[in-house]
Amino acid sequence: MSMLQIRNLNKSYGNVKVLKDISLSVEKGDVAAILGPSGSGKTTLLRCMNFLEKADSGSMVFDGTEYDLGHIKKNQIAQIRKKTAFVFQNYNLFANKTALGNVTLGLTSARKMPKEEAREKGLVLLDKVGLKDLAGSFPVQLSGGQQQRVAIARALATDPEIIYFDEPTSALDPELIGEVLEVMKALAKEGMTMLVVTHEMNFAEHVSNKIIFMSDGIILEENSSREFFEHPREERTREFIRRIRRDS
Amino acid sequence: MTERIWGILTEGFGKILLASIQVTIPLTIIGISLAMIIAMIMAMIQYAKIPILSQIARLYIWIFRGTPLLVQLFLAYYGLPKVGIVMDAFPCAIMVFALNEGAYCSETMRSAFEAVPPGQLEAGYCVGMSYFQIMWHVVIPQALRTAFPPLSNSLISMLKDTSLVAEITVADMFMAAQKIVGRTYEPMWLYAEVALVYLMFSTILTLLQRRVEKRLSKYTMKNAAVQEALPGEAAR
Ligand SMILES: Nc1ncnc2c1ncn2[C@@H]1O[C@H](COP(=O)(O)OP(=O)(O)OP(=O)(O)O)[C@@H](O)[C@H]1O
Ligand SMILES: [Mg+2]
Repeated sequence: MSMLQIRNLNKSYGNVKVLKDISLSVEKGDVAAILGPSGSGKTTLLRCMNFLEKADSGSMVFDGTEYDLGHIKKNQIAQIRKKTAFVFQNYNLFANKTALGNVTLGLTSARKMPKEEAREKGLVLLDKVGLKDLAGSFPVQLSGGQQQRVAIARALATDPEIIYFDEPTSALDPELIGEVLEVMKALAKEGMTMLVVTHEMNFAEHVSNKIIFMSDGIILEENSSREFFEHPREERTREFIRRIRRDS
Repeated sequence: MTERIWGILTEGFGKILLASIQVTIPLTIIGISLAMIIAMIMAMIQYAKIPILSQIARLYIWIFRGTPLLVQLFLAYYGLPKVGIVMDAFPCAIMVFALNEGAYCSETMRSAFEAVPPGQLEAGYCVGMSYFQIMWHVVIPQALRTAFPPLSNSLISMLKDTSLVAEITVADMFMAAQKIVGRTYEPMWLYAEVALVYLMFSTILTLLQRRVEKRLSKYTMKNAAVQEALPGEAAR
């Protein structure tokens, strides 16, 4: 059974339908890339899945429990968020906390983990993203790439079952993209389940095993990564791939 | 300078200082403390957009920022007894200052709260923190940092504005000077002297403000060499 399923998710802003009957499923260990043109609803979908936006209707099955997205309760949101993490396009680090403080805050405040234990875990995670030496730096003192790696360490801190990434490299200078992608690749190799909105075709083609292609608020094609790039089913998908191949 | 004037100034200095310890300083400290409590509550209500309470907060701020402090003092001290609310002059002064200053500080705090990027709230939710945990660990510390310079300026203004309480019979520094002027007819010297004492206090506050601001700047300065001391592995 899938680890995470979304069924018939709908979301409108005013009378503009932004997501139309979205259904998808993610298996444990999947690295699923969400692709699609700007404005197709990728960010909105991720935000609805982590309740930063409220979906109008639809359901979610997470670890065998079904939730009604249109009438979700606070304690259900808390329950789901315990198993998920989110990495934002613009990092959203806590400006008043050091790199280490950013990683540990969720542990010490939300999960009541003892400070010393959290600190040790935080340092292990910062080491994992190559930033142990900068544990005491504040976000303003870090480059974009370093900030995003801290954000990934923060996402890992709460031992999520799945991490959502919303264009994690789009705000970065080109020379800093690589270091973040490396960290994500390493996570993928370890078997972390990831749902990644990205414009990095290289990542989509070679790291992710599954592609979800969105256009105008619907999922146009959901396919294995190889099939998607080699034998796309939809005409629009083919066009999209031709275009990015031409651009790169 | 004649010996007589020197004598008056020496006596004046003692009396002014005594009045500052008895009235001006406690009034300022208690006033700003209560004002900050009011401000935090008003700002949190508005930041959280709590219906009805937000409107009440705005009404309060509108009234207290829109009317003169001196009029508020008179209304509270001379006006309220007519409707049966009688207060001693000093607590009355504290109340008016707390409410008046609280209204200004509320606005400062509200905009400081709103200056915290909302993405940090979202990030807090995503790591499982509750609204109050995020407020406590993330939003309030940053808002206080942002608000510190304007709040310090408010404090200095308030210190000077306490001279108005002489008008409702509170024996503050300014009234101490007035009394001696009444006896000695030396307004020039004595008012200059009391002005100097105010200047001394506000200078101390300004210096303190600079020092605290420097310490607070650790996470807002890009090139700061300050790294939080990290005993243990990371520092090695
Ligand atoms: N808060 C909002 N209020 C109104 N409309 C919104 C809001 N957020 C997003 N939209 C609209 O919803 C649609 C989908 O936006 P979304 O940000 O999800 O697209 P996206 O696929 O992430 O695009 P991009 O690749 O540019 O990030 C867009 O048309 C956008 O204008
Ligand atoms: Mg987006």
